[in-house]
Amino acid sequence: MKFRKKENDGKVEMQMSAMIDIVFQLLIFFILTLKIIPPEGDFNINMPIGVAKANPNEIPPTEFKVKLDANPDGSLNQLWFGGRSLGNDYPFCFDRLNNEIAQVAGGQQGYSDDLEVELDPAYNLHYKYIIKAISSCRGRMIGGTQVTYIEKIKFSAINKPQ
Amino acid sequence: MKIKQAKQTILEVDMTPMIDMTFQLIAFFMIVTNFEQTQADERVKLPADKLARPPIVARQQEVVLNVGFDRNLQGEKISPDPVIFYGTEKIRVLDYLPRLQREYALADKQSGNAGDITVVIRADADVPTGLIQELIKMGQEAKFTKFALKAMSDDVP
Repeated sequence: MKFRKKENDGKVEMQMSAMIDIVFQLLIFFILTLKIIPPEGDFNINMPIGVAKANPNEIPPTEFKVKLDANPDGSLNQLWFGGRSLGNDYPFCFDRLNNEIAQVAGGQQGYSDDLEVELDPAYNLHYKYIIKAISSCRGRMIGGTQVTYIEKIKFSAINKPQ
Repeated sequence: MKIKQAKQTILEVDMTPMIDMTFQLIAFFMIVTNFEQTQADERVKLPADKLARPPIVARQQEVVLNVGFDRNLQGEKISPDPVIFYGTEKIRVLDYLPRLQREYALADKQSGNAGDITVVIRADADVPTGLIQELIKMGQEAKFTKFALKAMSDDVP
């Protein structure tokens, strides 16, 4: 009996076209749905409703006042820490504020729960300056890690223009 | 002379490198794609700061308020008055109290612990701080107690 010689030597060929179709559809879907969002962070603001009840056993936190005056165009006119002017040379005046806060918070030892900062901005001051002020009071980055100085940050009453 | 008949050959393209690359691309896009429903509005140009880091644990409940200016395609301000972007609507900041009250009432009805909700304010770098204070005050009037101010993560000098 004569056997016919097999031509393909037992080689099985996979049908790839269906898989490639699906793979390309997936690729197009992911490319179209990709939305690049820059990473965002936030600063918590301590704004309790009404006046906090005074607890006789609790020592109230030491409060520091940071005042930010504005020019008519909303830029920074003067930065004050306590009663002392720190200038208006943005962003260096905020570095000075950060140094002052570091000194009162005990250097780079970490944050203190006994300290509180009250921000008193002018009504028309641009939001970017208040973010810089909050950041300067909150802490600083040292070697990629955040050192926190003051956690409790609040706003003063609104300075409505006359 | 006998001419040998040429054997018909089928040209097969080697698809392996292309499939490899495509799978790598798919893996890349799957990793970088964020399907999370973000409430961030692209019209708001946030200020940047080094200390602004995303929270380690994501908040369960938050109300995001996008405060910015109406801008044209070039990014220039069309109107000097800041507005709150609420979907396609643009609402004056000082008119936002009824919506905040509604948000609080709705959250209180749904979860019962609306006090845990954080009001996250995403404001444009040029928005007057007084308006942000007004917004926080309105939030307090609507019984919200937790507030957070957003900034972009990297410092751009």
